[in-house]
Amino acid sequence: MNKRKYFYPVLTLFALVSVFFFTSCERDPNILTPATYPVIPEVFIDGFSSGLNYAAFGGSKVTAFDVDKDVKYSGTSSMKIEVPDFEDPNGAYAGGAYFTSEGRDLSSFDALTFWAKASQAANIDVVGIGNDLGASRNLASVNGLPVTTNWKKYAIPIPDASRFTSERGMFFYSEGPENGRGYTIWFDEVKFEKLGTIAHPRPAILNSQDQNTIAIMGQVLTIGGTSITFNMPDGTDQQVNISSSYFTFISSNESVATVNENGQITIVGMGNAKVTAKFGDQAAAGSISVTVANLPPRAPVPTRPATEVISMFSNAYNNVPIDTWATGWLYSTAVLTEIKIEGDDVKLYTNLNFNGIEFASQPINATTMTHFHMDIWTPDPTAPPASFKVLLVDFGANGVFGGGDDVSHELTFTANTNPRLATEQWVQIDVPLSAFTGLTTRAHLAQLVISGDPNTVYVDNVYFYRSGGGGTPSVPTAPAPAPTFPASDVISLFSDSYANNPVNTWSADWDMADVADVVIAGNNVKRYTNLVFAGIEFTSQTIDANGMTHFHIDIWTPDPTALPASVKFKLVDFGANGIFGGGDDVEHELTFNASSNPPLVTGNWVRYNIPLSNFTGLLTKGHLAQLIIVGDPNTLYVDNILFHK
Amino acid sequence: MNAKKNQYLILLVCALFLITVPSCENSTAIESPTWQLVWQDEFEGAAGQRPDSTKWTYDIGTDWGNQQLEYDTDRPQNVSLDGNGNLLITARREAYMGQPFTSGRIKTQGLYEQTYGRYEARIKMPWGPGIWPAFWLLGSNIETVGWPNCGEIDIMEYRGQQPNLIHGTVHGPGYSGGAGISKTYGFEHKRFDVDFHVFAVEWGADYLKFFVDDVMYHQIKKGDVPGQWVFDSPFFIILNVAVGGNYVGFPTSQTPFPQSMVVDYVRVYKAL
Repeated sequence: MNKRKYFYPVLTLFALVSVFFFTSCERDPNILTPATYPVIPEVFIDGFSSGLNYAAFGGSKVTAFDVDKDVKYSGTSSMKIEVPDFEDPNGAYAGGAYFTSEGRDLSSFDALTFWAKASQAANIDVVGIGNDLGASRNLASVNGLPVTTNWKKYAIPIPDASRFTSERGMFFYSEGPENGRGYTIWFDEVKFEKLGTIAHPRPAILNSQDQNTIAIMGQVLTIGGTSITFNMPDGTDQQVNISSSYFTFISSNESVATVNENGQITIVGMGNAKVTAKFGDQAAAGSISVTVANLPPRAPVPTRPATEVISMFSNAYNNVPIDTWATGWLYSTAVLTEIKIEGDDVKLYTNLNFNGIEFASQPINATTMTHFHMDIWTPDPTAPPASFKVLLVDFGANGVFGGGDDVSHELTFTANTNPRLATEQWVQIDVPLSAFTGLTTRAHLAQLVISGDPNTVYVDNVYFYRSGGGGTPSVPTAPAPAPTFPASDVISLFSDSYANNPVNTWSADWDMADVADVVIAGNNVKRYTNLVFAGIEFTSQTIDANGMTHFHIDIWTPDPTALPASVKFKLVDFGANGIFGGGDDVEHELTFNASSNPPLVTGNWVRYNIPLSNFTGLLTKGHLAQLIIVGDPNTLYVDNILFHK
Repeated sequence: MNAKKNQYLILLVCALFLITVPSCENSTAIESPTWQLVWQDEFEGAAGQRPDSTKWTYDIGTDWGNQQLEYDTDRPQNVSLDGNGNLLITARREAYMGQPFTSGRIKTQGLYEQTYGRYEARIKMPWGPGIWPAFWLLGSNIETVGWPNCGEIDIMEYRGQQPNLIHGTVHGPGYSGGAGISKTYGFEHKRFDVDFHVFAVEWGADYLKFFVDDVMYHQIKKGDVPGQWVFDSPFFIILNVAVGGNYVGFPTSQTPFPQSMVVDYVRVYKAL
């Protein structure tokens, strides 16, 4: 028996293969050695041809291959592959490469041919040529080769014979169990041939698709789906998957996107570029058009206490496990790209029509939560009829899809809803779960489906939260974040972080508000109740804000903030005479609501940092003497009132 | 046992192949006449234009007796010039008039008919399983005597699943359909769908000779046919691309569509 002869290289090479096969050896024999190589077409006729070796792939069952003298197509023996059962402890699949130590000149052939049959009808996962256990630059393979219990001749076309002048990768295969069970494959008469009857090469990248995508600066995209389809001697088409190194890639605009010989696109500038490819002189089907757009700013950082939140996606919280952020359901064209904005993880959906987000393996129990939150940003037009929809699905008590207990509800957001859809702005979708009226149970939430006309959507901070039991907390649980401006750049009216300018009154006798000093976690805060408008006067020592650029104030309210609720800040300058009246007083009032940036929200500190130039009516600011706060929220906690530059 | 049987079959196939490959023709029996060009279409014209209506007419409809799957139309998307001096007969996968494919079938019936002569066409084949293009002649008296009494001369037939083979056949009373007198010409390492080849028949009072690129591979003498010799009256020319049917089998999901037969010219000669 020849058995011993073949076991020996298998065992010795296996160790090498585990290292070699998955690393990329950069050696290119074509460049190093212009010498001619022998023309040897035979791979396995009745035994290994001259210089042929076999190595099992890492993780495969290394004893899968043997020489069979009983079953053969012709001659005295064939190659037998015993595909193992599922979970075979010696290796879960059969796979290996037949390669030579010295290169062979195969450039006069057009196909590797062989006869094959199997102990049952099956589809062999991969058979191919050009795997030399190194760089394998000529890798070409056929996926899902159908074999039956009868001998049949097969051919793997050589994609570009001119590259096969010193080839070492003669043949390789990889196959797992069929329906969990192993079986046997036989290959015989494996050799290279010049058939002459393989025609009509049709190269393709990206599976022949013409793709459009939005990319960001520095992003790297890899072109896959590289293949060439031939019409075979029997008139049928055969697709051969080939490495990208067979192609020459071309960018229509190198100042936007560069592409290297491996089909890796790097975004280097703003604008548009189309990347195409050629196989020799022949244009490949498929292309990718890249639009490089501005990134959104960082999304507002959530401020809900972690104990009140079940987060699906936010850098501010620990997130629960999500099975997938893009289910790839039939007809969904959405493409998900994970990006970072100023270090913050964001999900970018392009080509969005609808997209499933699934967490069925660990459903979310949101029975104690009151609100759903999601931040979105789109560069696309958002004027009506554009809309963005959020669908929540609960799998019901059985916890699985179907079974008659699934419930769901979809909310639609447009430029006319609250929250208001907007272009190039972070829109905070922050809605009570009670608004999802059809979602009658929410103990087994398993799917979130987003859809919309904005085809490009950045998504951040997806979470459920609890906003007080039966009402919002009436008192902030944490102080406002301490300002970090240098003291030399600040004129403060009220802040624990700075020395404060004297204030005559925090509630003038002409206003409609009550004020109290409260302490939140050691931090002094002004609390206004019964607020209609509050007059704050600092007339005895007016403020010269000519050197300042911004007005800053933190507020917190337990009251509803949905539109039309708003807060207003008015600054009054008493003019050169420094006193009220006299014809030189100037003032300006700014209004903020749930649609502003940042939005007015309930139960969270909202930090307004407003350029003084926005107070357009404030023609002078050398003698600022009054601040008037107006609000529908009747209770307002206020902190860190200051001017800075 | 299976292996042995297979080997036997292979030997048989090889033997057949050797016979059909045209290395052994013997044309000494019949002298070659001098041919004079009497009719031609070079298919010059703008892309999308229909072929010359003074030379060609259409068979419109489906199933011409062979259970073909296509509906033949006179639409330019099925029959038109390509603007480069060729005629395209294009088979498409599209539902039309109750059929799953469309294609075209043009003929010179009533426009040009001739007894005897040399008929030749330069053609590049379509490809894919179930594609069945043909260049053939049919007896003009078909309306009165019917088929196969009218006679049929298939100068070229081709099966898309055998892109390296073509077939030349005559049909007549007692030797029609599967009993037609047929011979196959094949390339071992080439195909008929990659470039153009010239297919011709030379027809005299007592013989028919079939050619590919001036290689004669099939010769039938009046005494060879096992029935009446019906090749002494005018015949007309047909060019068509069938899809499916009992000669070629069905197209598969692997058959690429659309597929065009590209005809550079058709020329007819008379013996001087």
